Amino acid sequence: MLRGVVAAVLAVLLCAMGLSPAHAQEKSATKEGFVLKSKSARILLIRPSIKVGAQSTGGMFEPNADWTAQARENIGVALAAAQNKLGNEVIVAEEPIGQSAQTLADYRALFSVLADSVVTYQFFAGNRLPTKKRKGIFEWTMGPGVAEIAKGTGADYALFIFNEDQYGSTGRKILQLFAAMAYVSVKSGEHKGFAGLVDLHTGDLVWLNADLEMGGDVRTPEGAQKRVAQLLEDFPGSALQPVSAVK
Amino acid sequence: MTACLLGALPADAKESIPILPPYTGAYQPQGVDERGVWMVADEDERMLRDSKAVINDAKLNQYLRDVVCRTVGDARCNGVRIYVVRDADFNAWMAPNGTLAVNTGLLLRVRNEAELAGVLGHEFAHFELRHSLLGYKHKRTAGDIAAWAGVGAAAAAAYGYGSVRSYQSIERSAIGSIYAFSRVQEREADLMSMAYLKSSVYDPRCFADIWDRLMDEADATARGRKQRSARYDRVAFFASHPTSLERATYLRGIAATMGKAGEDDSARFRMALAGWRPEFLTDQLKLNDFEGTDYLIGELAGAEWTADLLFSRGELYRARGNPRDLVSAISFYRDALLQDPTNANAYRGMGLAQLRSRDPAGVETLKKYLGMKPDASDRAMISTLLQ
Repeated sequence: MLRGVVAAVLAVLLCAMGLSPAHAQEKSATKEGFVLKSKSARILLIRPSIKVGAQSTGGMFEPNADWTAQARENIGVALAAAQNKLGNEVIVAEEPIGQSAQTLADYRALFSVLADSVVTYQFFAGNRLPTKKRKGIFEWTMGPGVAEIAKGTGADYALFIFNEDQYGSTGRKILQLFAAMAYVSVKSGEHKGFAGLVDLHTGDLVWLNADLEMGGDVRTPEGAQKRVAQLLEDFPGSALQPVSAVK
Repeated sequence: MTACLLGALPADAKESIPILPPYTGAYQPQGVDERGVWMVADEDERMLRDSKAVINDAKLNQYLRDVVCRTVGDARCNGVRIYVVRDADFNAWMAPNGTLAVNTGLLLRVRNEAELAGVLGHEFAHFELRHSLLGYKHKRTAGDIAAWAGVGAAAAAAYGYGSVRSYQSIERSAIGSIYAFSRVQEREADLMSMAYLKSSVYDPRCFADIWDRLMDEADATARGRKQRSARYDRVAFFASHPTSLERATYLRGIAATMGKAGEDDSARFRMALAGWRPEFLTDQLKLNDFEGTDYLIGELAGAEWTADLLFSRGELYRARGNPRDLVSAISFYRDALLQDPTNANAYRGMGLAQLRSRDPAGVETLKKYLGMKPDASDRAMISTLLQ
């Protein structure tokens, strides 16, 4: 009996150390009534934030420069392939200099706060803010000032992509096995990604996909394709693509 | 001529400063771990470069670069990019790829160039000694041990193999070792900084003085917040740095053994930072730390109360706002205006303090403020007080 209690306490402690799996949650939403008309929109792709590495036995992130470079390249190629299918024009944002670099940095930071807020206060059903409870409601905005980041590109939408992968090391997997024998659940590896589309005319967030458990090994071209497909799953307008692909 | 405190020659000098190793420029990271750590640092630097928190002033940056170069030498300072971060806390940090961030709170608190050189040399030492990488590796090993000990404890609880407490004690030591390792690195960086200072133009005796004042300031802050002040005679479990007392003591001991004098270059420092101080003080005032800030302002003034310090002290007292504080604030503003009659904000503060003290003279003072600053952003607000 006492042993069971101690084991339970330890399990709670280990969970607190970040060893427990993420809880189920919603992962995608589109603004009410929003449709992206095929072949009509110019989408500005902001430099994706990509981080790939291993997870040590103790659960620490070990950044890996080679894997990250591979993933950056693979995801880039996969995105380019996906662009064609979307039927919309996707412009890759150039790295700005001077004042516009600061503005872009501000809006990238704002987007990541916004995406976090959506995940915390809307996607977690139990934690939903009262204003986000009505069915089908998805009202989040960055403000019309965001148009500034696309000045001169003529883009209608901005696409933000974040990706973080931690592959469980061998040590982590062995630990997981032994921990399971001691009735403690240890999670090996972490694969988070989110993609969001912002209307540059109004600043509204029209679509967000945030998945804390993504598939596809971004270190390989095929895996990256799978990941990008998952990231852009339910992308507004993507359902129309087979039609344009027929011809 | 130097104003830095002289230390007594330590009875048994345990600390010895390292001999500067040969330095190769344009170092590239080697191996998976180091390349990974650098990659993260590179990404972070991109963000820092474009951050609003960074003060992009070519002159200030050049000055700090000069100080780094004068401290560590021209060959070494080439690998450094400097970012002045608008943050009122006393801090500076250096990333493994050569990013050097200097808080404005540090620039506000150091008194001369020799002290600044000590801190910047300390940060550079972290870079040269590749402390981030070594710390990262140590943390990983300690984390691995802690995780296994955690599983061991769970197994002991479930099956009764071994004792839970001994596993937990291993876990604790592993976690404690992360902080102990960090303290060793900080000490190493201090010693290395003294080695740089030895071959520089600066007086190595100045570096120790910073820590004395930081202790006094922390004590003042604690007093103001009705907290117990920190103990400097023992090390806390989670302390990442040696205590300020320990640092002041060994740095002073080393400087005394070195027997080297040098420049403190306080005039150069004052000239470079003079224009910035009012701005840094404004940020400090927002920390809502009456006692600590009052100590700091007094320390900056020494025997010579300049207009910017008097004005800041007025703002500090007016913000606390007890009737007696308002009386003090008014006199600080008045003294500030005697030295610098062009400071419209001093009229503003004085007028508001007077009005709150039911002194009708406040109306005239505020009119004077609006007259001097017709396009003040709070014009409408102030005008309502004048009806």
